Amino acid sequence: MKTTPAGETAVGRRAPRKKYSLFRVLNGLFFLVFCLMILLPLWKVLVDSFDLTTGYGMKLLPEKFGIAGYTSVFTNKSLYIPLINSVITTLSGTTFGLLLSTLGAYVLIQEDMPGRGLFAFFLLFTMIFQGGMIPTYIVLRKLGLTNTLWSVILLPAINVYNLVLMRNFFDGIPKSLFESATLDGCSPLQTFIRIVLPLSKAALAAIGLMYAVAYWNDYTNYKLYITKELLYNFQMKLRSIMMGSDLPAANSGAVENTVQNAAVIVAILPFMILYPLLQRYFVTGINLGAVKE
Amino acid sequence: MENAPPTNIKIPKKPLSIRLLKYKWFYLMFIPVLAFVIVFYYTPMVGIRYSFTKYNLIRDPVFVGLDQFKRLFSMPNFWSAFYNTLKLSIVKLLLNTGMAVVLSLLLHEMVNLKTKKLAQTIIYLPHFLSWVVAASVFQLLLSPTTAGLFNQVLLKLGIIDKGIYFLGKSSWWTPTYYVINIWKDTGWGTVIFMAALSAIDPGVYEAASIDGAGRWQKMWHITLPALAATILTVLILNLAKVMNLFESAFVLQNDAVMDKAQVLQTYIYYQTFNSGGIPDYGYTTAVGLFKSIVGMILVLVCNYASKKVRGRGIV
Amino acid sequence: MKKLLAFTLVIGMLLSLVTISSLAADEVVKPDKIIMMVDATVVTSINGRDQFEARWEELTGIDLEIIQPDHDAYYDVMQQQIASGDWPDVLILSSTVYSSYAAEGVLWDMTDAWNNSATKNSGRFIGDSVIDGLKINGSLYGFAPARGNGCLTYIKQAWLDKVGLGAPTNYEEFLAVCDAFVSQDPNGTGANDTYALAAAGFIGFEAPFVNYLPNFYQDAYPFFIQQEDGTWVDGFTQPAMQGALERLADAYAKGYIDPTTLTNGTKDCRNKFYDETTGIFTYWAGTWGTNLKVNLEANGHDGQLVALPPIAEVDAYYDRVPPVWAITTACENPEGVFKYFIDTMLDGGDMQMLWTYGVEGTHWSRAEETILDVPYAAGQFHMLESLEKAGTAYTKNHIDPMLSLAAFAEGYENPMELTVKPEAKLSSQVFNSHSKLAKIVPTTEVMSMYNGDLTTLKNELVAKVAMGEMTFDEAMAKFETDGGLAWSNAIVDSLNALN
Repeated sequence: MKTTPAGETAVGRRAPRKKYSLFRVLNGLFFLVFCLMILLPLWKVLVDSFDLTTGYGMKLLPEKFGIAGYTSVFTNKSLYIPLINSVITTLSGTTFGLLLSTLGAYVLIQEDMPGRGLFAFFLLFTMIFQGGMIPTYIVLRKLGLTNTLWSVILLPAINVYNLVLMRNFFDGIPKSLFESATLDGCSPLQTFIRIVLPLSKAALAAIGLMYAVAYWNDYTNYKLYITKELLYNFQMKLRSIMMGSDLPAANSGAVENTVQNAAVIVAILPFMILYPLLQRYFVTGINLGAVKE
Repeated sequence: MENAPPTNIKIPKKPLSIRLLKYKWFYLMFIPVLAFVIVFYYTPMVGIRYSFTKYNLIRDPVFVGLDQFKRLFSMPNFWSAFYNTLKLSIVKLLLNTGMAVVLSLLLHEMVNLKTKKLAQTIIYLPHFLSWVVAASVFQLLLSPTTAGLFNQVLLKLGIIDKGIYFLGKSSWWTPTYYVINIWKDTGWGTVIFMAALSAIDPGVYEAASIDGAGRWQKMWHITLPALAATILTVLILNLAKVMNLFESAFVLQNDAVMDKAQVLQTYIYYQTFNSGGIPDYGYTTAVGLFKSIVGMILVLVCNYASKKVRGRGIV
Repeated sequence: MKKLLAFTLVIGMLLSLVTISSLAADEVVKPDKIIMMVDATVVTSINGRDQFEARWEELTGIDLEIIQPDHDAYYDVMQQQIASGDWPDVLILSSTVYSSYAAEGVLWDMTDAWNNSATKNSGRFIGDSVIDGLKINGSLYGFAPARGNGCLTYIKQAWLDKVGLGAPTNYEEFLAVCDAFVSQDPNGTGANDTYALAAAGFIGFEAPFVNYLPNFYQDAYPFFIQQEDGTWVDGFTQPAMQGALERLADAYAKGYIDPTTLTNGTKDCRNKFYDETTGIFTYWAGTWGTNLKVNLEANGHDGQLVALPPIAEVDAYYDRVPPVWAITTACENPEGVFKYFIDTMLDGGDMQMLWTYGVEGTHWSRAEETILDVPYAAGQFHMLESLEKAGTAYTKNHIDPMLSLAAFAEGYENPMELTVKPEAKLSSQVFNSHSKLAKIVPTTEVMSMYNGDLTTLKNELVAKVAMGEMTFDEAMAKFETDGGLAWSNAIVDSLNALN
């Protein structure tokens, strides 16, 4: 990777003796303390998920270590199909979502386009005014979407909040690039595919993540529009493990509390893996630098 | 199309028909978006009419004019719940966004990529904990008894001489609520700002360095302005939702702090729950419409202010 | 002339009605298909619902369609279903929804059908008081196959032994136990780190509000109650409340009650009981008697618990109004659904077996085999391993055998002795012989207007008096100035106007 972060280019290369400047030490210390504070409450859940005894207080380490909580979650056969459902809806939903928000955002940056303001208002209005639970259900039912995965894929795909954020990113693309593309004979769609999308990797990563998280964590839409257990998602099943107050004490030695805490951790796991994978798109300067070469 | 006008120079607009033709592909591209919005958002909006009816979902709705709104406004503690909602939501929004910006700026200054990634990942994790779980953990950490780690630390340091019931005392509840919110959501808030920061051209920093700009000057004159549009967009978009505040208040409130912690959504929830009957859907819809109108006013006012100050709104 | 004509017409209509209804009672048509809506209290599809459905159809010869939303979503989905006009034939309802739906005419009046039912007249049915409690103005719109269950007080035997006290029989002895549990280091850590008991809030979230702290509330009840003469009062304004709140305040000040009771969740209370922070716990009777023991033993503590009969001052524990099966007015053949669906549920034989334990070969078996390391002989009844959660065995289907309102028929083997653990059975027995049924409180317009604010205010005052931030008199003064008394009176008047 040739491009380096701005900080390093500016400070690191030009003034090497400042490598361990006071600011950097303090900044590092700040994040160390801040991350520890963020982790402390999570640590409680993590420790409890590995602890075969059940207690109220905070422990530094498990009193009686065991992975029975996790084996209990993972041997729960009812989790397999929901896991597949979650993957399907998250992948397809995020694709739909990104498609709609990039298209919408691309149209909204056409400042001269007649009707642009009206379109913008039309979209914003839906963010503020909603029809409510029952009318939405009736519409989905009339379309034959209830009790199909389409309801939970299509409904959240249009998210005006994300669309407006996307538009905000597109605004940062120099207008000159569009003009030269037009001069080169690119149609609007070609410009969109060849210029806008490649230049917006960070935005696509960030907003794609927001969509993915929303789809993966979706609970409300499933709860309202799906009554077939075969179509439930992972989150829905984990939630019933977490909330289940009358779980029979497992013979495997894992008590209710341990299993529930394990379920909380399992629910976080995908995001611990996903985010670091996306972060390479966030590195400063890559995008524009690539274009200029 | 070949003779596209240079955009920076103000020239008289071309006739509408020509402009419509010029953007024909854009209209086509907008069709899917429009279709989704119309089907999933505008069609159900006919449901807003229920706010002017009495409707228990069993018998046909009965038109009652503005009675549902009158009922809402005449509820004994409506105004205090309304005030709490605005206060908690808006302060929380400002604090969370402010903290997210500060964290993003500091993360941006971090040189070591590995630690930067690690820090980013850690601070965004609490977002994925449900509020119920978060609340129960904080109730333990902030407990006034020996089990409450935070109080124990304060006691050891000699800052206090008796454990404070942070979530059980009305005077402590609000600040504690903000802190827990910062813990839970600022890390997630940085995602969007980090993406915005990556759009800054490194050349600008280099040029500034050559001109002798220091770290703070660069942060103040380059980084922050680059974030300004995103910050404003995030703030204004979230204003539309301030009245929806529910879960975080619901799980953290308790009988003794309701004067500070009761928000409109929890108020309606308890009213419905304790009424012992089936909820009046007309009333629920009216509450929803009222929240929307407040949200709309907030968004419009701030968008107008943004236009005055920056020359443009969020969309 | 006109009057005469009208008179004869009315008589004629009445006669025809009588004949039609008597005809109908005799010839109940068997429905072809029944659509039922149920929550997760019946086995879910991952746990063999298809087998349940097949067995039910086999026993009745009727096609059964099951709508079963996720358990958190049941009432949302049910509302949507009702709103879209797509009503099921039969559905399960919580007691509050039941009474309002009955008032709105959603539910079919099953009074006559019930009086003539096989279940009621079987000689095995022991739930007449429960069914009476479900009547609204003398009419019955729903049926419950089991009691609603409630909470009783459990005390750790090992702690009692340690402090040398027996199970308390009155409040004075109860306080002595509390005091010993706080001051005599019953958990043996050497530190002063115990409380007698913890609760999730000083007042319950829903009826019967006092069920987690019965020993302090005793005869006081903070909600609307109907007196013997039929008039309504607000229990919160009755003299007994003062005693209750002062007992709470006193126990809290002395450190008997966990200081974070205000913010505790139910789970926190359980965990404090498991990790030996507390020694007394008022919690659900029945299966929880076993669960508490198992969790204590998993922590390496003594799991023996006393299921305490109510102390002298507590008249009886509260039994919740159970969830109710009801037939909707959209059902084309309600008599048929009653006869073949509801009236068979407690038939004392195969159908009751199905509703109580599930399907042979899926949920239970009599085969010679080893299940979860326990060997069973041929013919010995036992539950099978859960399809969903490996390592655990099924305990029941829809009807909890300990709460069932009818015994199995004579000659039909009742497997309860084999499936229910002794602690659960003991706790259930103690509860059953010392409980009274909570009453359904009707709802009024005035109540839906004020009761939200009123409850919030009552709960605040209870918490503040209990925690010593206010005296009882100050609380009552605030109750009046904040409007609580006026709301309370308005609701009482509206309830009395119903009579």
